[in-house]
Amino acid sequence: MILTQGIIARLVALCAFAAIAQVVCFSKMDVFGSSPDVALLVVFSIGVLGGSLTGAVVGFSMGLLIDCLLLETLGGFALTLLSVGYVAGRYRETVGRPTRGAVALLGGALTLLGALVIAAIQIGTGIDANVSILVLRDAVIKSLIGAALAIPVLLLVRLVVRSALVDERRGARRATAPRPVEP
Amino acid sequence: MYRKQVRRRRAVLLLLVAASLTLLSLYYREGNAGPLHGAENVVSTIFSPISSVTDRALKPVRDTVNWFHETFDARGDKARLQDTVASLRNQLAREQTQQAEVKELSALNELTSGGIVPDGTTPVTARVVGRSPTVWYSTVTIDKGSGDGVRVDDPVVAAQGLAGKITQTTSNTAQVTLITDADSAVTARVQPSGATGVVEPNVGNPNDLQLDFLERGAQIAQGQMVLTAGFSTGDLGSIFPPGIPIGKITHATVEEQQAYQRVHLSPFVDLRDMDFVKVLTTHSGGGSK
Repeated sequence: MILTQGIIARLVALCAFAAIAQVVCFSKMDVFGSSPDVALLVVFSIGVLGGSLTGAVVGFSMGLLIDCLLLETLGGFALTLLSVGYVAGRYRETVGRPTRGAVALLGGALTLLGALVIAAIQIGTGIDANVSILVLRDAVIKSLIGAALAIPVLLLVRLVVRSALVDERRGARRATAPRPVEP
Repeated sequence: MYRKQVRRRRAVLLLLVAASLTLLSLYYREGNAGPLHGAENVVSTIFSPISSVTDRALKPVRDTVNWFHETFDARGDKARLQDTVASLRNQLAREQTQQAEVKELSALNELTSGGIVPDGTTPVTARVVGRSPTVWYSTVTIDKGSGDGVRVDDPVVAAQGLAGKITQTTSNTAQVTLITDADSAVTARVQPSGATGVVEPNVGNPNDLQLDFLERGAQIAQGQMVLTAGFSTGDLGSIFPPGIPIGKITHATVEEQQAYQRVHLSPFVDLRDMDFVKVLTTHSGGGSK
């Protein structure tokens, strides 16, 4: 991803909108007893499109904003989304551009990773109440929803940052390049 | 060149992880008046009007999704409704939302005007504008804050009963920690037996609460109602006024009562689906109520 000022501005706007929409809308939705984690999928998409560094920085920033909006412990969601962005970016850097099936699987797996990181932070900082087995069900449902939404969210994010994507530029160049004249 | 990139990537990652952990650590150690809480309040205050507008703007989307979920649950009615659903879906969602809001507000008014609000308490009606995306933090954000007279530890009720208490405020928003949060504990009394205990959550299961530390030999049966006890011993007192409905006993076996002094209850309030709440403010001053 080529980060120009325009693209950074677009990323900031996208992240702010995704964080606010997550807190005021998606978290309040009831889908099979859980709710979609679209903010996490936006970070995952940016990681897949822009690499580990961009993914980690965007994840950290969006997480901090969510922490502030919810008046929760600062750093909790930041650490969670930072991990998701970094892992998604590393996948892209080591394995390459993921296929559609891989995007869905990765989306689900990273949603599960997010749930695990939050659980680890919560348990690590001390919890004085019983924990129901239903937290596992919630994590599984969340990751299934994540798998289902990963492709549409990736397509939307790709649309927003399309002009900055190296692959897209190469594709566009190939499409517009003059064809060699046949003898 | 590649090595330099790898080094830079690792350095940034380490820096961000260290920043996250430092923030977590400092946030826990500092008091509510600390600089990190202050910075968080400033950001929350700035984004509060945007959140409020976005909440209203995206409500039809949310209601449509929830409407699908409710329709899925009501499979028995599906065939009868299928013909009309397509054309009326959006209109129905909007009208149902308005009706539900009116119903919720009426029930909320009924509850707070039914004698459970102690003298000197002013109920402040607030809209729920934010919710945590994880089951580990059972908190919601409301659109009223210290500027409206809301203070930390004020009790919060929803249309059907107790919802939680205020744990943090900014000038125009506040964080409500729900009774299903891991940090929550409410002294309660079972009616009509009069047995008292402490209502604690079962993290991850918003439909199940536990009434712990019951007196041995208490006669508790399924279906009995649990209300806030609102005890007062000298200077020490519960922040919740007595008589606010909390839930209904769902599971009370003699064995569990004898061994763990515990029974289970389900909350009256659907804590995942609240649009309005009332904060029972007890402080003078503040802005409009």
